[in-house]
Amino acid sequence: MTSRQGRFLRRVAAMAAKEVLHIRRDPRTLYIALALPVIMLLLLGFGLSFDIERIPLVVADGDRSAASRELARAVFGSRDFAAVAGSDARAAQTELRRGQAMAALVIPAGFARELDAGRDSPVQLLVDGSDGNTARQIMGKIDAILRAHGGSRAGFADSPPLAVKVSTLWNPASRSALFMVPGVAAYLLAIAAVLLTALTIAAEWERGSMEQLFASPVGRLEIVLGKLLPYLALGMLQLLLVISLGTTVFDVPIHGSLPMIFVAGLLFLTGMLGQGLLVSVLARNQLVATQAGALSSLVPSLLLSGMLVPIENMPWILQALTVVVPARYLVHALRTLMLKGGGFQVIALDLLALLAFAVVILALATLRFKRRLA
Amino acid sequence: MSEMAIEAVGLGRDFGAFRAVTDVSFSVEAGEIFGYLGANGAGKSTTIRMLCGLLLPSRGTARVAGFDVGQKPEAVKAAIGYMSQKFSLYLDLPVRDNLDFFGGAYGISGRALPRRAAEVTELCGLGGLGPRITGTLPAGLRQRLALACAILHRPAVLFLDEPTACVDPQARRLFWRVIRQLAASGTTIFVTTHYLDEAEYCRRIGLMAAGRLIALDTPAALKRAYVPGRVFLVRGENLAATTSAVRAQPGILAFEPFGAGLHLQAEPALWNEASVKLAVERAGGREVVVEAADPSLEDVFLAALGRAEPAA
Repeated sequence: MTSRQGRFLRRVAAMAAKEVLHIRRDPRTLYIALALPVIMLLLLGFGLSFDIERIPLVVADGDRSAASRELARAVFGSRDFAAVAGSDARAAQTELRRGQAMAALVIPAGFARELDAGRDSPVQLLVDGSDGNTARQIMGKIDAILRAHGGSRAGFADSPPLAVKVSTLWNPASRSALFMVPGVAAYLLAIAAVLLTALTIAAEWERGSMEQLFASPVGRLEIVLGKLLPYLALGMLQLLLVISLGTTVFDVPIHGSLPMIFVAGLLFLTGMLGQGLLVSVLARNQLVATQAGALSSLVPSLLLSGMLVPIENMPWILQALTVVVPARYLVHALRTLMLKGGGFQVIALDLLALLAFAVVILALATLRFKRRLA
Repeated sequence: MSEMAIEAVGLGRDFGAFRAVTDVSFSVEAGEIFGYLGANGAGKSTTIRMLCGLLLPSRGTARVAGFDVGQKPEAVKAAIGYMSQKFSLYLDLPVRDNLDFFGGAYGISGRALPRRAAEVTELCGLGGLGPRITGTLPAGLRQRLALACAILHRPAVLFLDEPTACVDPQARRLFWRVIRQLAASGTTIFVTTHYLDEAEYCRRIGLMAAGRLIALDTPAALKRAYVPGRVFLVRGENLAATTSAVRAQPGILAFEPFGAGLHLQAEPALWNEASVKLAVERAGGREVVVEAADPSLEDVFLAALGRAEPAA
């Protein structure tokens, strides 16, 4: 090693060591990095559940025949629905409006007669659509029940009834936690990484120590590396924490390659740290850096990553925006690796996108860093 | 001939249309304490930042410790120490960690660092403060810690930008003792200040006003050049009412309220102490005392500003 490289490494080490000291002295940093993710994951994992059971449903039986009662039994036979007392279609609508029931199944008079005559005998399903997600789930469930019921009733006594089997791949119990943990991991990593770097670099500007550093032989690259390395390590620790919590508390499986999860995490973190760097180079003060850092990491990773809203359901303009949101690729990579399995091949495109983002944003930040010092 | 520690030739810097520093030329010998005086906004910090390689000059050149600041800023940075206006220390860290960090930043390697840190700690009178959190230190100690951090790597030239702002008089005295020791051992000191009494510690001083260097010499020579007459101090009560009476006296060259008294510059040949005293008493002054005073750098500064203004 030449002495030039030696001095370079010594300065990076000095910067990084100082940063570690700052982190150790400031419990807030450790709180943001380690305690906050645990709290958020528990809150979001348990609280933000999309699983619904015992949906209150009212059956308005206008037929009062054996066939209509049999249909009602089939509906309430599953654990998905709980009966709400009701008589006719008008009363059922009142229950819906009051919020006592979330769905109403209206069986018209003559239901059994039409059925016996071998004709189509439609029933009506009224669903409270104010919560779109729940409404979709109700329709799916009722649809499945009706098909199964219709099949068994088809009346060909000696042939087996046509069985409709709905099966969900990869997340058979449709448990939200499985879906949420990878998303939450991306969200938490993004916030902590952007916020912490933005803060630490803005603090140097504010304190005036940045000028002191520029008057010393410490170069820009050394400052950037010295600042980012400790937070990269902290971020990896955070990822480890979130993954272990996910697998232990929420039973999230890891079917794919564990090392690849960390490779994806590392690339994502590098990009987020670069984003924090860029924010602080532009803002140069802690207050603005906090606002800009939180906004630029929180909003995209929460809303545009596909963590809460599937990207395919977004309007085209938002879909186009998600292309440059790195959280999107991490969420996809983590979900693929955890729920579907596989290794490098299945997430290669995600890794490429994450790498591209990291390279571009770090280059931009370092360039900008340089230019503003005249 | 030995090379100058600092040599500026026609150095200037603009910020947009604003001329912060207009074509300044001077040189500083090795081991000299050079004071740079001027009001806030006169261009002192801009000059120092150009000399430290932090700002590119818009015009002119400067060499510091033998290196051109525009072409070899990295070589300049390795050869100098810089203490900026706000002693930019890490207040959340102990004294020891600040020294360790700046040592590392200047590339002082493992074994040499603790030895050197102990030396500067001793020199700056920071003994026993290692584990103290920097933020809990009084301003005077922080200032000396900032100095200690700036001289760890034995810089040939030390730049101090208003090092004594917000520091009490006793701490300032201690600070200057260290500065004089450093200069005696060969370090060149370039210091900006707006405390005129501190300028007396400097071998030579330059006066800055509105981005121009309007005077440069030793304090004694400046006083001879700019305060040709003698200086008197008139003390007493109700002096505010007497100013026009004093001004009307023969031989009065300049005239300034100074604390509760009046500061006069007079032509020695025309000066008549008894007549001035009488005039003040007639105009309403009571318990009037007139005494001879030494010209201060403040007199020089005001005289120099007065001469520079018509040109500006």
